[in-house]
Amino acid sequence: MRTSLGLVAAVLAAVAVAPTAFPAAADQLDDIKKRGTLVVGVKTDYPPWGMRDSSGAIVGMEPDMAADVAKRLGVKLELVSVVSSNRMQFLQQGKIDLMIATMSDTPERRKVVGIVDPVYYASGVAILANAKANVKSAADLKGKPVCALQGAFYNNELQSKYTGQDLVAFKGLPEAEQALLDGRCVGFVYDDVVLVWKKAQEGKKWEGFEVVQLTEWKPVPWGLAVKIDEISAPWGKFMAQTVTDWLKSGTLVALEKKWVGSNTPWLLEATAKAKQ
Amino acid sequence: MRRYQGDASCAGPAEPAPPAGESGYTAANFTPRALAIVLGVFCVVVLAGEALAQMRSGGPSRSIVATLVAWTPLILFGPPREFGGFALNIAVSFLAMAIGTVAGLFLGIGQISLSPAVRKVSWAITQFFRNSPWLVLLFFVMLLTPFQIKIAGYTIPLPAWLKATFGLSLPVMANFAEIVRGSINSIPTSQWESAESLAFTRMQTIWRIILPQCVKRMTPPWMNWYAILTMATPLISIVGVNDAMTLTQDALAAEQRSELLMPMYGLLLVFFFVYCYPIARWTIYLERKFAVRS
Repeated sequence: MRTSLGLVAAVLAAVAVAPTAFPAAADQLDDIKKRGTLVVGVKTDYPPWGMRDSSGAIVGMEPDMAADVAKRLGVKLELVSVVSSNRMQFLQQGKIDLMIATMSDTPERRKVVGIVDPVYYASGVAILANAKANVKSAADLKGKPVCALQGAFYNNELQSKYTGQDLVAFKGLPEAEQALLDGRCVGFVYDDVVLVWKKAQEGKKWEGFEVVQLTEWKPVPWGLAVKIDEISAPWGKFMAQTVTDWLKSGTLVALEKKWVGSNTPWLLEATAKAKQ
Repeated sequence: MRRYQGDASCAGPAEPAPPAGESGYTAANFTPRALAIVLGVFCVVVLAGEALAQMRSGGPSRSIVATLVAWTPLILFGPPREFGGFALNIAVSFLAMAIGTVAGLFLGIGQISLSPAVRKVSWAITQFFRNSPWLVLLFFVMLLTPFQIKIAGYTIPLPAWLKATFGLSLPVMANFAEIVRGSINSIPTSQWESAESLAFTRMQTIWRIILPQCVKRMTPPWMNWYAILTMATPLISIVGVNDAMTLTQDALAAEQRSELLMPMYGLLLVFFFVYCYPIARWTIYLERKFAVRS
């Protein structure tokens, strides 16, 4: 009895003091090629950029991008499902080689992970408006009831500058949609990429509604990321070159067309700029 | 003279006999009809969702039943070539229960130790983990443990589900320790005295005389805690494990149909109910069978 307890204690102590640090990979690009597998963290709760099909496979625009990276490297692809709260941790820990997970590019995040330049995508603000309301810009929303989602970064400005008391913020997407369909507001303000996709996917439901870009808000770029010390190493450079290629060759435009159904002005512009 | 218990102040007032005290309430709540009622309510929810879908009919959408059927294999068994879904919930519940039971056994015995230091430390550990929210413990374990450990040159990965299992085993350990302590205390003192007169050592008395008598009275509350643990396993979805809850939410995100909310979560509830209900029935049966007359 005593010996087995002692053994347990010894093992526990060994676990507790075992060094958790491990040497940084000399060259991650080489490691990936040697391993023969590229591990990419993507989302599974943000259709159509990253979602599961009913067989459980992860599909979407970002998984397709990941597949293209694997093809370029000539290795197998392994997709790991990440959520907003653990995506940067997974990258730091080395659980994933690359993260393509709808992450907005911010200065704070650039201190933690290596966000690759150029960025590959961006989402702006748009309104899904009743065509009869004839909304052309945010200025047209004065004094009109407008639906939005609670917690969106543009709500404050929308309310103070344009709608005043007439902004109705809902908790979830379905509720806001229902309010719009019921005519409780003239339009629903949300991330442009999601609205464009909704309109394209559910054409019949949104007949008589149009998506109008609200250019008062600048688009927020989405960046894919590698480990922070890899950003200027071969792996980071390889990814920067890959994104540049994607923009130049129109790969991203094609993928967006395939998954979202239509193209966002930001991506078309970025593609045109890259081609010059 | 050596007594089986040092001082009463540390152990506190004796708990009521565990079979009745720990789990008596289940007997009142569960009737044999409960299964039929839950399944009936689930059917009503699905039909209501179906009617709602008909009303909206925004486009060509699958019927609710067909959608549920399509996602069921994923929610039950997880993504292909990956262990997940409801099967993972069950695996986590087994493992957490095993860890919690073994650790709780020692912690419970520690609480009746002759050494005041061991007794007090065991008591403190038990009280801490018994009275902390499960989700908070889960977050602590997730954040405090590394994702891999190195022992003598070997790298052992610690996947998120394993860490989550360990996190869930802590409250189980503390609660089982109380069951152990309570049932040891409920064994008549004469058993200890007879053992001592027959020259059994204290260790022999505990392992060969007292604990075997405790097994019967510990089993129903232990099973009750197993059912509670199983129903708590969806908590691990919050820390990024591909359990049934996470996959249900992924399915809802992919479908983008509000009328699916209730039927999808209803389906998940049915899975857990169908698994846990027989355990509850069996617990009640054992409780009656092992009832300690006092």
